[in-house]
Amino acid sequence: MTMRTYEVFLKKDGKDEFRHVGAVHAPDDEMALPLARESYARRAEGDLMWLVDRQHLLVADPDLLAPNADKPHRHNDGRRVAAKRKNERGQV
Amino acid sequence: MKQWSDLDDFQSFIDTGGMVEPVDDMPDEYRNEVFRFIEFHANSELMGGLTERDWIPRAPGLRLKQIFLAKTQDEIGHAHLLYMVAADMGVKNRTEMLEDLYDGRSRFHNVFHYQAVTWADQIAIAYLVDAAALASQRSVFANCTYGPYKRVLKRIVAEEGFHMRHGEEMLLRLAEGTDIQRQMFQEALNRWWLPSVQLFGPDSPENDPLLRWKIKTERNEDLRHAYVQQYVPLLQGYGFEIPDPDLRQVDGQWLIGDIDWEPLKATMRNGGPDSRRRIETAANNWADTAWVRESLAAAVDRTQREAAA
Repeated sequence: MTMRTYEVFLKKDGKDEFRHVGAVHAPDDEMALPLARESYARRAEGDLMWLVDRQHLLVADPDLLAPNADKPHRHNDGRRVAAKRKNERGQV
Repeated sequence: MKQWSDLDDFQSFIDTGGMVEPVDDMPDEYRNEVFRFIEFHANSELMGGLTERDWIPRAPGLRLKQIFLAKTQDEIGHAHLLYMVAADMGVKNRTEMLEDLYDGRSRFHNVFHYQAVTWADQIAIAYLVDAAALASQRSVFANCTYGPYKRVLKRIVAEEGFHMRHGEEMLLRLAEGTDIQRQMFQEALNRWWLPSVQLFGPDSPENDPLLRWKIKTERNEDLRHAYVQQYVPLLQGYGFEIPDPDLRQVDGQWLIGDIDWEPLKATMRNGGPDSRRRIETAANNWADTAWVRESLAAAVDRTQREAAA
């Protein structure tokens, strides 16, 4: 029997977003559902559950995301403004 | 996928707070040590779950039966998740791990090698032993460098917290009970105190790879010492006596008598007083449920055949 890996996501109704909680190994969709329910949602951790068969995940190459720390103009650390305010507080 | 040129390179990655994921090209030494540790944990959860199960019919009253039912389910669930994480490391698959356990080739926690005689023993296990296990799991969870293990530990630690509270409540009920009940717990404590402090193992060796690679973050002797500081006053507060003639207080710290580790070593090689029965029970349980796995496999095969047709 070949097992498949399913990624499990849970969400509280009306709150937050679906969050990844872990994975289960199961032979098929029908068995994956109760296994995920019993493994991850025994204490009201969620009201809604998604299961995704890992072979259906579209996985990006890390290179696609790689050049994402080289554009400081997309951030602002607020340091200059903070320094000015601190300076003003110091003068009062 | 992360790669490292050698063990020193890997060590500096670990030392600077790096996390290892299953897709990474981790050193074999790390893979094998971490696998063994997780397999040991998985085996212990499974054997612990079967012990809890033994007490469902014997637990006094419906509420306690429900609690033991829920705890059994939690423990088996933990084993289920841990075997998945261990299998993903590619050292042994799940079936191989289970066969090694049932054939007595692999190991599990010392505390599941002894007999639980009375209901009070089960409470001592639920409280003292679970507390020791929880303390050691928390310390692994704190800085664990193997990502999948850290993620399942989060869930396991949370659920073990519920077990602890059930354990202390059950202890409280015996402590506030009749003289016979108090006597029963004292006798159980006499049997389970030493195994509980031994659960942390002998002092960590110098240069323990599990510490070096931050699977463990505290030395065995430090965890044991912290446990003693917490549980000696707690049990004495309930009016029980710690079964250790050498127990003493020095500079406000509780110190326990020297432990002879030799009997534990034999126990851990599956030579404990109840090891054989427990492994046999687990193996029979696996054999008795073969029909579930077989019918499941047949049903899946049929679905796949129908989908292909």
